[in-house]
Parts: sequence; structure tokens; C-alpha cells
Amino acid sequence: MIEKIKLEDLKKENILAFGEIYQGKLHPSSLEILTPLKEIAEKLDKSLILVCLADSLESIHDLESLKKSLADEVWFIFHSKLRDFKDDLYARVFIEIIKSTNPYGVFFPATLIGVSIAPRIAGVLNLGLCAHVNALEIENNQIIMARPTYGENIIAKLTSKTIPVMATISIGAFSPKTSEKTPVFKEVIFPENFSWESALKVRSFRSSKKKPSRLSTAKVVVAGGRGLKNKENFQKLFELAEILKAEVGATRPVCYEGWVEEERMIGVSGVTVKPKVYIGFGISGALQHTAGMENSEFIIAINTDKEAPLVKMAHLSLIGDAKKILDLLLKKLKR
Amino acid sequence: MEKIIVCIKGVPKPGTVKVDPETHTLKRESMELILNPNDRPALEMAIRLKEKYGAEITVISMGPSNIIPLLKQAYALGIDQMILLSDRAFAGADTLATSYVLARAIEKLSPFSIVLMGLKSIDGETAQVPSETAGLLGLPSLINIKELKKEDDKWIAIRENEYGEEEIEVESSLLASVSPQAFDYLRPPSLKRLIEVKEKEPLIWTASDIQAEPEKLGLKGSPTQVVDVFEKKLEMKGTILEGEPQELVEKFIEVLKEKEIIKI
Amino acid sequence: MLIYPLTDDQKLLLDLIKQIGEEYIKPYALEWDEKEIYDEKPIKALAHADLFGIIIPEEYGGLGWGSFEMCLAVEYLSYYCAGVSTTYAASFLGCYPILLFGNKEQKAKYLPFIATGKKLCAFALTEPQAGSDAFAIKTTAKKEGDYYILNGMKQWITNGGIADIYIVIAMTDPAKGARGASAFIVEKDDPGFSIGKKEKKLGLRASVTTELFFNDCKIPRDRLLAREGMGFIVALKTLDYARCGAGAQALGIAQAAMEVALKHATSRVQFGQPIYNFQAVSHTFAEMAMKIEAARALVYNVAKYIDSGAKDFSGASSMAKCLATDTAMWVTERAIQMMGGYGYMRDYPVQKYFRDAKCLQIYEGTNEIQKNVIARELLKYYK
Repeated sequence: MIEKIKLEDLKKENILAFGEIYQGKLHPSSLEILTPLKEIAEKLDKSLILVCLADSLESIHDLESLKKSLADEVWFIFHSKLRDFKDDLYARVFIEIIKSTNPYGVFFPATLIGVSIAPRIAGVLNLGLCAHVNALEIENNQIIMARPTYGENIIAKLTSKTIPVMATISIGAFSPKTSEKTPVFKEVIFPENFSWESALKVRSFRSSKKKPSRLSTAKVVVAGGRGLKNKENFQKLFELAEILKAEVGATRPVCYEGWVEEERMIGVSGVTVKPKVYIGFGISGALQHTAGMENSEFIIAINTDKEAPLVKMAHLSLIGDAKKILDLLLKKLKR
Repeated sequence: MEKIIVCIKGVPKPGTVKVDPETHTLKRESMELILNPNDRPALEMAIRLKEKYGAEITVISMGPSNIIPLLKQAYALGIDQMILLSDRAFAGADTLATSYVLARAIEKLSPFSIVLMGLKSIDGETAQVPSETAGLLGLPSLINIKELKKEDDKWIAIRENEYGEEEIEVESSLLASVSPQAFDYLRPPSLKRLIEVKEKEPLIWTASDIQAEPEKLGLKGSPTQVVDVFEKKLEMKGTILEGEPQELVEKFIEVLKEKEIIKI
Repeated sequence: MLIYPLTDDQKLLLDLIKQIGEEYIKPYALEWDEKEIYDEKPIKALAHADLFGIIIPEEYGGLGWGSFEMCLAVEYLSYYCAGVSTTYAASFLGCYPILLFGNKEQKAKYLPFIATGKKLCAFALTEPQAGSDAFAIKTTAKKEGDYYILNGMKQWITNGGIADIYIVIAMTDPAKGARGASAFIVEKDDPGFSIGKKEKKLGLRASVTTELFFNDCKIPRDRLLAREGMGFIVALKTLDYARCGAGAQALGIAQAAMEVALKHATSRVQFGQPIYNFQAVSHTFAEMAMKIEAARALVYNVAKYIDSGAKDFSGASSMAKCLATDTAMWVTERAIQMMGGYGYMRDYPVQKYFRDAKCLQIYEGTNEIQKNVIARELLKYYK
């Protein structure tokens, strides 16, 4: 059984992380962000708490992974009105918790839900909020966050003057880890007078028919950039991916060009990948992209420009027209 | 008549970015600015709502006077009123300080039915400003909507997230960010309106026009701070092969075999 | 190379065409050509951009401009895809008869929809047995009370099926020969009107060309343009106006072909140097540039001549059409040659330009017919 605890009796001054539960499913990035936060929490001598909002305990499918998570405690807030995700209500629940527990830091995975509520909270409470960070460290007892920025090869280190420090953390930037120690589960009892009403009413939900991309866990990634010239050429990557049992990734510009859906975007605002082999066709390697693939075990770059950043990062670079090489490669492999 | 507000942003044309080494902020004055591509679906949605229900659309943007051509671009697409939020005190704002200025301006424009923004800018890519502004205004917010329509007095939105699509009903006015994939066709500007807007200038609102508190503005009002900016320098680490594509592909296949990605 | 002085508004027009070309056409042009598909998005974009209203007076919702601006728009659009510009220019071809010969009611009824691009136009003269010999048309229109009944067929009609408004030339009095033809406005949904098969073409494959069938097609009598017997005058005057547009299309195609080939020639290395260093190559480009500029000068001047209010410009507009389209054919052929094997491959656009250019020597009056017109007009000037 889960211990029930009143809001005002909760432990104070912790590091809070948002455990995103949607339709009973825990978003994997909620476990990922615990990896860097655990280190931060230990260095600051704080407890790490995962905060989950849901309909009821029974509705959650992933209790096992929560039990193995790095969190010191998992706080559940259960209410029938929390069954659907409602930006305003979820934010208010969080604000109540922040107000009564004075956390030192509050962190969210940079999912669409994460970027829906984190900024609302920041707006209401007038707090600083850093976006899509992919590195966290402690300097002089202060949380320093980093993210590539300005679309160029520039990394910015950020702090926030306000407490709690708030940030959203890039999806896939960290690997989830498990712990031997099971976190303490607590159900938080909200005050009677708390209003569970929302201005939003979710009428219906239609599950996406698209297969969720397995990009972030793929062993082989074939990615394409502007050097492939057009959508038609880019689509050939899917043929190659099928032969190599790979997943297709893309750079930001080609997603914006509409050559492929944005879920395939690798990089700061997209997915982070760590495959055994990463193959980049016509990708010059802006930091926005490379931040999401630099930890690949073996990098192959195909580019006309010998000076391109990705060529410099790569273990093997083929200097030539990406489209031609892709065509030739497909021809040979299909034989 | 409905009143729709669209917030747009000028972003540096990719490749023209310079950073001020002192303040670590973008040197916005020297950059070539373009309309944030993700704001176009928001403008398109506003214009389609106008065509369907009749509405007056106001577009607002924060920045120096080099934003004016972008406001005019929006006008040429079919919006009615342009407002530039411009004040030296706004400079160096993070998302909170930006949202504060937008929120003050939106409040001054009330009553309104809908506030629309792009999902995120292509430079900052934070996606924070829409819900942060909504938080400041106490307005319901929806992120990444694909459709918006009216049913009686309610707004019905289709919101897309990682899991699927939700149909959501809102009874009051609301703020929404529009999915970059909301439309498969975005209209170009109208030539007549391009000619017309040559003679028009946006309204300019300063900090005092929107009754903003000075300590909440710009760099001073920004809790997040850039403490360091560094360029990532790359060292050459691998093998570089040049030559005829044929030879390159052969080598390529060898490596793929070595890595056991393809069998012989 | 020559820079023509343009007004601010004309510059806005060009910038807008370029924006539409880059965003709605360039990424897809080769695919449309390859798959021979008509995509309505660039047409929708041209409509939203007010560009169907260029030649339509402001009182009917247009921009009130003239042939010169129409040529600028068509030229720059053709630079991106002559298939799209054919759909666009053919709509003008169908619009001119209403503009030039329509009465107040007809103008008020149709022009506002044409100006906003809500309705596309088509012009239907050609029949299987009546090509260059247009007077040989057999489609008939018989007056019956308040209606005309049309019977017959039209062939190779650009915008067939996608247009809403068709200008149809039909014989009201076959006994009178050329003076027995009349021009009618037929609407897409008129009873007895139907669209035949979509033709498969060598070039301009992003545009739609079909047959039209009239099977006791019944239209109200107020669809008659001008008077009975004016049919060929309507047709010939329309073609006089529209021919510059075909010339402008040729300019855009030739320009694009030269640019693509030039980029290749300056970067392609053979025998240790860019092939542009070889005189046989560079001189070819010099000739391309001369011919394109000469053609452009003629097309622009004829367009401005028309806009100046000239009454008789058949010879002039024939010259513009003939010279420019012959130039485009020559330039695109040379462009392929300059690119060698690359030019011949369908992954590169020059072969498309070549195929597109060919049609321009044929449609809106073959270049042989243009020379007949020029020769005829010559004798009027130098009696």
C-alpha cells in the first residue's frame, strides 16, 4: 500500500522531476531525466522526487519501472479530473506542490506536455525557465545548465536567478538508469478547498496510427540533411534503412522543409541517438544536430565539403555527392 | 466580431547570427531577420478563422524597428492591424521577460477571442513563450493545435501530442500555439496588400504604453542568464576518403560489413 | 545581363513570383514533370497572391495592369516551371475575350472571380481537323429561343477539366464560312458539356490538356460574346494579346536553362580545368546570352507597345512569340549539349526545359503561322 500524506507534511526543498503519465503510460523521458538529476541531487544533498499526476494508482501501467527508478521518492497525485491532460489544472497542481514544499529545482522532460506546463508554472510564479538543456552540473553550489544555441556551433551555459531552478531537459539526452533501492511511494492528499476544475474539456482522444519511431534506441541510424537536395532523394533513406535494419533520422532544416516528419529530427529540439553506427548523408553538422548524435559509436559522414563539422567528427568520411553515393549504394546492396 | 491576436517573431536568417561577447545576447540589430517560419501556420489559422467567422486580426511583435518589414509581411497575408512592441528596456529578454511584455500588450488589446503563436521559434526553439504568456495572463492554453473551430459559443481545438490527437473544448477565450504541420498549404502574401502596406506603419507601443513594470523588462527582468558562451571546436579524428563515387561506395560497403551491419 | 528599370510595384510583383517559385514550385517541378501530375497548390498560391488579376481592371477586383506586367509574371514563373506557367497563361487566354469583348454584365459576372483566381479559364478553338487552319472548325451553335445548343468537340485544350470558364468558338452560320463563327462562354457545369481524356505530352507535363465535348450543350443566349459572326475576330484579337505571353514563357525557360548549364560548365572539370575555359563552351554561352537578351528586348518592347494603346500589333506580337520561342528551343538544346550526359539525364532539369520549349513553337499558333502573319503584315507597312 502507498502511504498517504498531506500536502503540507511533504518533505521540503527537494529536487522535483515531472513523471509524465499519459493514458496510464509513463513517458520514458521521465526516467531519463532522473539520471542527471540524481547526480545533482546528491551533490546538493537533496532528495530527488518524481511527481506523477494520474487518475488512480490502478490506471498506471508502469509501476515496475517506477519502482526501479533513481528517485528517492515518488509522489502521486490522484484525482479523477487528472485522467486527461489539462494544461491549466496540471500546472495548478504543480504550483500547489511548489508553494508548499519550496523545492530547489523543478525539471520536466521536454515533451509537448512538458513544454505545455513548465512555462505556465514559470509564468504564474514568475520563475526563470531554461529550455531543452542537455547537460547539468554544479558550480559553486549552483545548478549550471547547458544547451547548444543560436542554430550555430555555440553552446550556452545558463543559470537561473530564481528558486526553484526550472528547466526542461532534452528527450534522449540521458540514458535511464535503474537503482537497487526502491523509492518510497507517497500519495499526496490535497486540501479540501483545492479546485480540480479546468477551462479545458477533453472530448475525445484518437491514438496516433503512426508507429512510434524507435529512433532513440536504434542500433543503426541513417540520417539525411539538405545535401540530399530534395524530398524524393531523402525518401530513399527509407529503402536503405530497410536493408540495414536502421531507423531514419533527419536534420532540423529538412524537417522544416517537410521532407520528413518532425519526429525524425535528431538534435537539440529533437531526439538524441546513440547507435552503433550513424551514417549522415549530406549533413554538414550544425551543433543543433550533432548534439543529438555525437555519442554514436561509429560515425560515417558523406558530404561534398571536407571542412564540414560532421566530417571532422566522423570516424569515416566519404567526400562526394550524398545523393549519388546513396543511389550507388542502394544499387549495390539490392543486388 | 471576433478579435484574434497573433504574436510573431523575427528570427535571424540561418547563417547570419552574431553574438555579443559582452552580454552573450544576439546582436539583433546587425542580423538579417526573417519571419519565424513556424509563425506562418499561426497566421494562416488566424486568416482562415477570419474568412470563416469574420474577425479582426492584430499582429504583435517585440523587437527593434527592423521587425517592421515582418509585420508588413503579415499584413500582406491578410491581417488587419500591426503593433510593434519596441523599447530599449525590452532588450536582452529571456522567455519570461518576453512573455511579460506580450502579456501586457495582449491585456491592453482585450477583449479578444483567441491569441495564436507559432509552436516555437527556429532560433531559440524553446516553445516556452506561448504557455508562459498564458500563465501570466491566467488564460487557458493549448500547445501544438492543428485545428480550431467554433461550435456555438465554444472553441473546439484538435491538439496533437506524442501520443495522438485530442479534441478539446474551451468555453472562454484562449491562447494556443499552432503546429508547424497544421496545414499542407500556407498562402503567400497578396500583391494588392503588399502595395497597400507600403503606405502603412505599425502602431508602436513602448514600455509605458503597456504599463509595464521596469524591473520585469529585458535583461533585468530575465531570471535565466547566460553565464558563458563557447564555440565547439572540432578536431579531425577519422579517415577521409576522396575519389570516384564507385570506389567510395565499395569502401563504404566494406566498412558496413566490418561493423556487421550487412552480411556478406 | 541587362537590367530593366522597373517601378516599385513591378519589383514587388517579381519578388512575389520568386517567392512563389521557390516555395511552391521549385521543390516539386521535376516530380510533377516525371509523374505528369497537375498540382493545384501553386495555382492556389498565385490566386491568393492576386496574380490572376494582373490584366483585369481594378473595378473588377484586379490590379489593372497591362501586357508588360503579365509578361514579367509569366516569364519569372516559367523560370521555375513552364508547366505551371502554362496553366496560368492559358487562363489569361480565356480571360481576354471577356475583357476585350464582354458586355458590362458579362464582365461583372465573370471578371471578379477570374481576378481572385476563384475561377480558372480556358480558351477552346482547336479541333481535330482545325489546327493551323482554324477556319475549319466544325463545332456548331444553334440558336433555339433563349438558348444556344452546342455540338461538337475541341481538342488539346489547356486547363480542360480544371477550368470553370471556357471560351468556345463555334459556327453559328456554317454557310458564311469565317464570318459564321461566334464566341461563347461555357461554364463547367453546363448541361451537355463534358471533358474528354487527359493528353500525355512531351513537355509542359504539369499542365492539363484535354478534349472537350459538346453534346446538345445548352447555354443561355447571354453567353454569346460580342455578336454572332464575331467568333474569329474574338479569337484572333485574343491571340494577338496573348502571344507575348508565350514569348515571355520562352524567356523564362531559356534563362533557367542557361543558368543551370552555366553553373555546370564553370564547375565541371575535364582535362584538368573547368570546361567553361574551353572556347567552344564559353562562346556557346555568349551566344545564348545574346539571343536571350535580344528576345527579351523584343518581348518587352512589344508588350509595352500593346500597353501604349496600339491598335494593330498582330505582326509585332507574332515576332515576339516566334523569335523568343525559337530562341528558347535553341538555348535549351545547347544547354543539354553543354552538360553532356548530365544534360540528358532526367535527374537534371535541362532536359525538361528542352521538352517544355518545344511546345512553345507549336501552340498559340505554330511559328510557321506566326511567319505568315508577319509576312502578311509586312506588306501592309511596305506597300
